Amino acid sequence: MNFDMDIFMDALWRLSPGYLTEHLQLVIIPMAIAILISLPAGIIITRPGYRRHSGRVMAFFNAGQTIPPLAVIAIFFPFLGLGYGPAILALTIYALLPIARNTIAAIHSVPEDVKEAAMGMGMTPREVLFSVELPLSVPAIMTGIKTSAVLTVSTAVLAALVGGKGMGAVIFSGINFFRPELILAGTIYIGIMAIVIERMISVIEWMIVPAHIR
Amino acid sequence: MNFYGFILDNTGLVLEYTLNHISLVAVVLFFSLILWIAVGLVISRYDRIAGTIISLGSIVFCIPSISLFGFFMSVPGLGLGRRTATLVLVIYAMMPLVRSVYMGIKSVDPSVIDAGKGMGMTGLQILFKIQVPMAWPMVFAGIRVTVVLITGIATMATFIGEKNLGRLIHQGITRGNADMIIAGAVIVSLIALAIDYIMGRIEKKITSPGLRFEAGK
Amino acid sequence: MIRVDNIKKTFPGANSPAVDQVTFNVNEGNICVFVGPSGCGKTTILRMINRLIEPDQGDIFINGKDVLEMNPATLRRTIGYVIQQIGLLPHRTIEANVALVPGLLKWPRDKTRQRVLELLEMVGLRPGEVGHKYPHQLSGGQMQRVGVARALAADPPIMLMDEPFGAVDPIVRIRLQDEFLRLQQTFKKTICFVTHDINEAIKMGDYLVIVNQGRIVQMGTPIEVLTSPADDFVLRLLGDDRGVKILDLTRSGSLMESFQAPPKTSAGINGCIVQAIQPVKIALEMMMKNNSDQVGVCSGDKIVGILTWNSIKAHINRVSGDGP
Ligand SMILES: Nc1ncnc2c1ncn2[C@@H]1O[C@H](COP(=O)(O)OP(=O)(O)OP(=O)(O)O)[C@@H](O)[C@H]1O
Ligand SMILES: [Mg+2]
Repeated sequence: MNFDMDIFMDALWRLSPGYLTEHLQLVIIPMAIAILISLPAGIIITRPGYRRHSGRVMAFFNAGQTIPPLAVIAIFFPFLGLGYGPAILALTIYALLPIARNTIAAIHSVPEDVKEAAMGMGMTPREVLFSVELPLSVPAIMTGIKTSAVLTVSTAVLAALVGGKGMGAVIFSGINFFRPELILAGTIYIGIMAIVIERMISVIEWMIVPAHIR
Repeated sequence: MNFYGFILDNTGLVLEYTLNHISLVAVVLFFSLILWIAVGLVISRYDRIAGTIISLGSIVFCIPSISLFGFFMSVPGLGLGRRTATLVLVIYAMMPLVRSVYMGIKSVDPSVIDAGKGMGMTGLQILFKIQVPMAWPMVFAGIRVTVVLITGIATMATFIGEKNLGRLIHQGITRGNADMIIAGAVIVSLIALAIDYIMGRIEKKITSPGLRFEAGK
Repeated sequence: MIRVDNIKKTFPGANSPAVDQVTFNVNEGNICVFVGPSGCGKTTILRMINRLIEPDQGDIFINGKDVLEMNPATLRRTIGYVIQQIGLLPHRTIEANVALVPGLLKWPRDKTRQRVLELLEMVGLRPGEVGHKYPHQLSGGQMQRVGVARALAADPPIMLMDEPFGAVDPIVRIRLQDEFLRLQQTFKKTICFVTHDINEAIKMGDYLVIVNQGRIVQMGTPIEVLTSPADDFVLRLLGDDRGVKILDLTRSGSLMESFQAPPKTSAGINGCIVQAIQPVKIALEMMMKNNSDQVGVCSGDKIVGILTWNSIKAHINRVSGDGP
């Protein structure tokens, strides 16, 4: 392997940092939108009135996750053209699936007898949701968010293909010009970003999950 | 917008790419199953290395696939082409496969294993008569996830010269040919969905009715 | 048959031994019951017999052979084991579960099948009804019956039974106990039986081993233990109704005053009679029902003696005194 240390150092310290903010945006904006949509959606779909549909909704989300990321990223290009917007939209959809899935699964997995006991003590459905179902599902929901975040950090690399920039720009030029130095430099930032974001979500989880069910 | 028009006009090309795609997935699956199921079985008996192997798998999983393709492409002796593509995809298959085998075997209720031991089963009899059959649904689910995953990531192998459905998407983007992109995306998605659906069906069939209840809970 | 000699076991990380200085014998055809509070080491003792746990020191002999010198798998196939958690294989049907050990011993298919049907009948399950079901489709009591059937499958001369009737309600438990005792009359198996229920222990046991904190505090036949508890712990374990329990194990015939010659009429006892082999407890029940302080004792349909309230009282005072 012809690995040029100078090119690598240059890519690591000078070239790649310029793409960091862009990449971060490609992760944070889709994640934020995805959470804002899928949490309430997950809660609504698990309410007794809609519960019977939740099997189908889950099947839909599961099927959605089987679609290859490259296909999701590319499919908006013909309609919306090149740019940041289509990339964000595609990444949002991709981030949404695991969060929604885990939210639904988490709320479903709260044991029926616990909920019945809560209702038996005179809690309203609303109180059951906020003081029983949600607290008990938080760990699993947070797992979904973590999975989704790590996935988005690496899928966002593909945004470069449709003009969305980000760290993908560095990595893909490494591919196009046969420069492993660029690929490595870009990947190091991606890896660090994935770890840091994952840690940060863990900290948030630690703060909001009640100690006794942690 | 007329993507089936594109498919009809380029039947030969689309067919070639599709077959290439499927054959790559098949080869990768062949090697992955042999390698990673064996690794999963081994680490389920040696807890000390299990943690290390599984976290290794998860780390690999966090690296963008394009980067892995890129690295291995630069390794002398690998270069562009199928060999590199196969290697990278096999590496990718590690996490879901090893993990599902390990988790499956570990999820077997200890009291059942205890009963087996108490009845006089040997270590291997316990593995093959209790742990493997009880873990099998979980392992099969892992295989299903892996096949779908590999089918998706295989599209990225187009960047190191594989001529598969990823190429339709990739070239469609570079040429600004919307029909080509959609054709590629739709076909690859349909394949992934079909595999997922069919294997989901099989998964239900092969699960012992005695275990279906537990899984359904 | 089974001889356990001064075994000791300390689990890694525990600061006191789970089992210590345990020595006992189980005679052929006897049921030896281990009884004691939760966590006292009963299961650990049992599991050392079939080598699921290896003792740190001490010896265990079965028919004079040291178990530590036998192949564990072969050893275990000759010892039926009913585990505390039942542990049926969830992916196999009930029939397949019962056929487990015969399968390991490579019995011919017909013989195995025959045996499985026979066993399911024996433990009171209808083979046609439950044979093809899976464990999760059975009730707790049915699963325990299957667990017992599975342990009996290869007709092992020795059985280790760890709270085999633990997961059922008291009524079903009594039925299972009765059925098992009935079977044992023909089986004559050598059985180590674990329970934490003293009533079950007294009922099932030919011999009791009372365990506390890993050590044996007393051994003996139920009546020996009841009449002379070794210490406060045993006394408390036996409960406040120790006297009644004794009367439950005493035959009416043994406390009666025999007639020299059979009386011409039974007028004096007003048809208030018990059989000589029935426990004194039943005689008491009869007295209360008939508001009388004596009952007639029969052997068959012949009246052979009379049992009075005073003689029962005297007996209780004599055997139980005021404790240890
Ligand atoms: N595998 C093990 N590892 C460590 N400690 C153990 C193990 N098995 C049992 N112990 C400990 O040894 C002691 C005796 O346990 P054992 O299971 O023999 O009790 P037991 O009398 O059968 O109780 P129970 O009636 O609840 O079944 C307990 O303190 C328990 O915590
Ligand atoms: Mg026990």
